[in-house]
Amino acid sequence: MTASVALRRSRRQGLSSPRGRRGRVESLTGWAFVTPATVIIGLFGAAPIIWSLILSFTNDNGLSSTSAFIGVRNYRALAHDPVVTQAIEHTVVYTTLFVPGTMLVGLFLAVAMNRKIRFMWFYRTAAYATMAISTISEALVFIWLFDPSFGIVNYFFSLLGIPQQEFLNSPSEALQVIVVMTIWGWSGFAVVIYLAALQGIPQDLVEAAAIDGAGRWATFRRITLPLLSPASLFLAVWLTINALQLFDEVYLSTKGGPLGATTVLVYYLFDQAFQTNFNFGYASAIAYLLFVVILVVTAIQFRIGRRFTFYRS
Amino acid sequence: MGTNRSYIGVLCALAMIGASALAACGSGSGATTASGGGGSIQIWEGYTGAEAKAFAQLVTRYEATHPGVKVSSLFVNNDYTLQKVQTAVAGGNPPDIAYLYGSWAPNVAKLADVVTLTNVVRQPGVHWSDFWVGERDVATVDGRVIGIPALVDNLAVVYNKTLFAKAHLSLPGPDWTWPQFVADAAKLTDPAIKQFGTAYVTPGSEDTVWHWEALLWAAGGEILNSANTKAAFDSKAGLTSLNTLRTMAVTDHSMYLDPTDSAYANLFNSGKIGMLVTGPWDLSGFPNVHYGVQIMPSFPGTDGGHQTISGPDNWVVFNNGTSRVKTAEDFILWLTAPAQVKYFSLKTGDLPIRQSVADAAGFDAQMNASLPEVSTFTSNLGNVRQARPQIATYPQISQVIGTMVVSVLLGKAQPGPALAAASAKVDQILAGSG
Repeated sequence: MTASVALRRSRRQGLSSPRGRRGRVESLTGWAFVTPATVIIGLFGAAPIIWSLILSFTNDNGLSSTSAFIGVRNYRALAHDPVVTQAIEHTVVYTTLFVPGTMLVGLFLAVAMNRKIRFMWFYRTAAYATMAISTISEALVFIWLFDPSFGIVNYFFSLLGIPQQEFLNSPSEALQVIVVMTIWGWSGFAVVIYLAALQGIPQDLVEAAAIDGAGRWATFRRITLPLLSPASLFLAVWLTINALQLFDEVYLSTKGGPLGATTVLVYYLFDQAFQTNFNFGYASAIAYLLFVVILVVTAIQFRIGRRFTFYRS
Repeated sequence: MGTNRSYIGVLCALAMIGASALAACGSGSGATTASGGGGSIQIWEGYTGAEAKAFAQLVTRYEATHPGVKVSSLFVNNDYTLQKVQTAVAGGNPPDIAYLYGSWAPNVAKLADVVTLTNVVRQPGVHWSDFWVGERDVATVDGRVIGIPALVDNLAVVYNKTLFAKAHLSLPGPDWTWPQFVADAAKLTDPAIKQFGTAYVTPGSEDTVWHWEALLWAAGGEILNSANTKAAFDSKAGLTSLNTLRTMAVTDHSMYLDPTDSAYANLFNSGKIGMLVTGPWDLSGFPNVHYGVQIMPSFPGTDGGHQTISGPDNWVVFNNGTSRVKTAEDFILWLTAPAQVKYFSLKTGDLPIRQSVADAAGFDAQMNASLPEVSTFTSNLGNVRQARPQIATYPQISQVIGTMVVSVLLGKAQPGPALAAASAKVDQILAGSG
């Protein structure tokens, strides 16, 4: 983009050099603009990606200087590793709870905030603050909120007569606590996206619907929701990619436990590479499995999404 | 949060897959500090607070007494030193000395550039046997010394004297037993005010595991057979130790289970927990309670006694050419000589890594003056009789044992079947790696 700007500018100034030389200068200018970014992306983006693909076909353990090429053995091991199956299960369960959850909470808050009431600036800042708070503080606070003995959540449960829960100590509840934790963390992001989209909805359409006798719910369903669909598709894709890469919250709160109940793919990858096995080859294979999964899921989302997405232009 | 997540993701990806790429970049920046000539060495350590200050003072003192030698230290979070060292070794530019966890020793020994110190520690004046046996065991892999002890600790029982008085219990004595511990824990528990007799860390990590291993040894059991070829913990001792924990966690509900591995310390300092099995590093976090320290209880009818477990760490020397290795060895031997060990312990409250320092007259009183009751941990070093298996597959074995202990404590499994299942898995791991 920068290159094309430079190109336009040079044309406007009517540089009168011979065509061939001008072309060369222009292309050199272009390259000068693109090279730093290309080199950095190549070095820190592309090179590690390719390197990890190579690693995934070796038994590299990061310790000894030699590592042997072992073909697809890592990938074959993946298919027979019960923990991988479990990790995929946990990742899928997490994603199916987290993505719609965050979108619903975000939509609800955005709609509630899309009006003129007092202190709105405060509510909007508060909603977005969840994005600004670091994951580690967030995790520490949630650990205490959901402490089985001393947490405020169980305290409210006791006031309401709901039985006391074990939360992070329970293999069946720990993942759900992480879902709640991350929905809280990401809802601010969804709010911002939805608020922007809501403010782009033309009032004449809403008024036309009102004149035609549509109630508030009908207007929301028939006018607002369809016009929000591009934002929804974006959120669905973006949140899914992030959900499939869940790591921070697990690392900070449960370390994959209790009894492996919150071991998701990226955590297992980390565990294999740095905690138990120092098995870089195998961990790279897991990374590539995840890469393919994300690619396929995103492609499906775009394909299905396109059918339900309504672009106004 | 979004940026944080992707940031860590990027870090992970870079650290893991970009070993060579990173090392290539790293060598540029590292070279300026590390290769300033034979008289200059680089050391990677993870000291903070009082430790960082005392260490810096020692380095200054060494440089003052050794003209021409420059020791530059680089702070590295201890948890990540191994992976950083791996990257540096791959890039051909390791530090001269690094602080590495003892549990990594078997894997560290596989690194290409690790200097063998077997002959160095035999030199007269080093007095290798002055280091505690638990330390020497962890610094030695298959008979080869790969490190000099950097830190030693152990587990003992820290108890809240006020809560004991309130419950009209007599304070734990040096010959107390686990049944006594269990009974006290039950009496110290009061659900109405959310007070627990004791706590246990349940992330399923090595922290979960070594707490149990101390009980297993005290009950007369072993983790693996002497050749490290088969699991040995599916035994009467294994059952006794697991049942003891299960009674408190499942039957009596006198045990606060802490999956985060951090909440327990705050709770103890708030007077919500009666007894804690923990190490000397936690003592400074208990300024609000009147606490005492007692050695671990024993199991009556066994010969395990009041055994405890120790988690020593090592200074590891890497090969950057003969002259720098020589300088590094000289510095590390000076740093771990009695005078410096004593200085460091008194400044930081860390246990002395040498027995002669601990035995010196007046030392205990000096230590207790800054950190009350810490001398019990010092004398408890004598109760460290064995080390965890020094094999490369130990992290995998630890994971299996961690799952076993947590499953029992959460009431998801009975001790007997849990031991049998874990033992079978450990045998598999040991057979697989040969």
